[in-house]
Amino acid sequence: MPDVQSMVLEFVNKLRKRKIEGSQATARCTVELLKSVVSHHRLPRANQASALIDAVRGVGAQLVAANPVELAVGNVVRRVLHIIREEDLSLATAAVSELDFNGEGMSAAVVAAAARSTLRPPSLQTLLEGTTESATVPYTFSSGVDSESKTADKSSITQKLKDDVRGGIDQLIKDITDCHEQIAEQAIEHIHQNEVILTLGNSRTVLEFLCAAKEKKRSFRVFVAEGAPRYQGHVLAKELVARGLQTTVITDSAVFAMISRVNMVIIGAHAVMANGGVIGPVGVNMAALAAKKHAVPFVVLAGSHKLCPLYPHNPEVLLNELRSPCELLDFGEFSDCLDSGSPLVQVVNPTFDYVPPSLVSLVITDTGGHNPSYMYRLIADYYSADDLVM
Amino acid sequence: MTEVNPNPNPNHNGIVASDWIEQAQAAALLRYPVIAGRGPSFSVIEEFNKWRQQADLAEAVAAIRALAAVIRASEARTMMELEIELKKASATLKSWDTTSISLRAGCDLFMRYVTRTSALESEDFNTAKSRVLGRAEKFGEISYKARKIIAVLSQDFIFDGCTILVHGFSRVVLEILKTATQNKKLFRVLCTEGRPDKTGVLLAKELAKLDVPVKLLIDSAVAYSMDEVDMVIVGADGVVESGGVINMMGTYQIALLAHSMNKPVYVAAESYKFARLYPLDQKDLAPALRPIDFGVHVPPKIEVERSARDYTPPQYLTMLFTDLGVLTPSVVSDELIQLYL
Repeated sequence: MPDVQSMVLEFVNKLRKRKIEGSQATARCTVELLKSVVSHHRLPRANQASALIDAVRGVGAQLVAANPVELAVGNVVRRVLHIIREEDLSLATAAVSELDFNGEGMSAAVVAAAARSTLRPPSLQTLLEGTTESATVPYTFSSGVDSESKTADKSSITQKLKDDVRGGIDQLIKDITDCHEQIAEQAIEHIHQNEVILTLGNSRTVLEFLCAAKEKKRSFRVFVAEGAPRYQGHVLAKELVARGLQTTVITDSAVFAMISRVNMVIIGAHAVMANGGVIGPVGVNMAALAAKKHAVPFVVLAGSHKLCPLYPHNPEVLLNELRSPCELLDFGEFSDCLDSGSPLVQVVNPTFDYVPPSLVSLVITDTGGHNPSYMYRLIADYYSADDLVM
Repeated sequence: MTEVNPNPNPNHNGIVASDWIEQAQAAALLRYPVIAGRGPSFSVIEEFNKWRQQADLAEAVAAIRALAAVIRASEARTMMELEIELKKASATLKSWDTTSISLRAGCDLFMRYVTRTSALESEDFNTAKSRVLGRAEKFGEISYKARKIIAVLSQDFIFDGCTILVHGFSRVVLEILKTATQNKKLFRVLCTEGRPDKTGVLLAKELAKLDVPVKLLIDSAVAYSMDEVDMVIVGADGVVESGGVINMMGTYQIALLAHSMNKPVYVAAESYKFARLYPLDQKDLAPALRPIDFGVHVPPKIEVERSARDYTPPQYLTMLFTDLGVLTPSVVSDELIQLYL
């Protein structure tokens, strides 16, 4: 246990100091950490799932507080909580259907349906079934087992929940790692011969996506906006050239000028919010507005760990990160203006941009391409309603 | 022959006799008086009016509670009979005000919930009846609490220093604003006058009691003031399958304006207002006409548009605040399909 605590503290430190870059890397580290938390947590006899959920939630709250802008952390914690609830539910229904053979009276199908509805967000259908019958289900598993089985069975059932949860987490790790391949498989449907694609920033998903289309013998050109002040576009352009793609580097200010010659804009998202809005590298809102004006499809690539169940409130400020002004200005360049008590010059260097859902044409996740207004469905599949607030 | 034939008449001899027809007619007449016979002791409209007298209770919630009372007072012995009684009571309630969408939607949802027999088939009647009654009371509870839930869910959308445009007098919207003042948020409200119902003045009075800065606008001043507005919040008479809303006349206008000036439009509606309607344009709505007083005499050969409400298509709405959560308009049709299919 103390080992896990120190791991958590170390990770919290890394997050606070922004040592880990990129949603995929952050998501993987978070999942690995939560896996050790789950493995090392000693479970009580009754209400095992609730104990696990509380433990994971406690760690999750610390992680989210360390870096609230990196939404992948919160997403992954909620995914793990959902996995725990699902596994507990399937064990419970299995146990209850066994008990039912002994003539317990409650129809297993009814109980399963009622309990499953606790995991989904409230809906017209389940409005009434949710609370009347579900209150009995989560606890029948633990209490029913206590009365029926012996101590040897009890410890094996504890192990069963942990094993199932670990299995679910392994599946989640696999999904996070494989998201690039899953998304890239769909490239051939969207990129056609002799097209011109515009992209911004340096997203590995976009790189894999474009290269997959190239593998399938589509020939197309790529315009890369350089993405000042970090010039990530230069890095992407080099990699694209290394893979044999015809690339043109343009400045960010030239995006609107070139947009009429572009067939599609493809960007990698930092996060996709519950209303379908997209958070991406700074400059994507500008590209999205330009694309809307010229009726160019704006396609966003996002792995499932980037789907966030929260609604964005004032995302330009609250979900943004202001980086050091030294990326824009050299130290000493403006020192005479900045030295006085209240300087007249201020330097703002935001990292992210928010694109409202009305400007996004398609969101491609590892499960396929969807309309931004469909996000609520994917969120209902991956997350439980109880975990939204941590 | 008499043992297989349940006919009580011992003179029956296997041919269609006139006494059969008489008995059939008598049986048909017998069924209806079962409801009317209990008329003096139980009337669903009386029950409905009794609930409506409670302050601040929505019509649909009162109807739902009245229908629950029908179940409680029912002397039916089978589920089919109970269902028939409920259908009759529901029809009576709907005829009380044929133009009210929320009343109709509430009654339809109630019938749908209460008569879903998935778990009821194998139980005996009394258990089934008490389960149905439990569901009915629960639905009444949920509908009653819906306003509070909506108020809590919508708090994050109101930020300090914002200006909110409100149209119509919706008790849900008032609840949202009340809760925001309780959470010590600073905001300003612009109310449209809401001719001819004077909703603006009524709402402004309520808000003045809460010490919220209020400004009244005439209905034509909305575009003029739209650039200082941060968001529009309206209630709804009904939410239709496409995700659009039916609300007081003027809502469509305001939503169009807000959309063209990039201001979000939020609708606060309880889930019992989800109706199975799909209007394609304004004339597809059942007309709800009301008299309009222009202050001067209008000669009779001049036509007056007297419709009380309009339909706002879903593309002009940003978000719906319901007790099922904060939903985008596309979720509404999903919900309705899942329920009715």
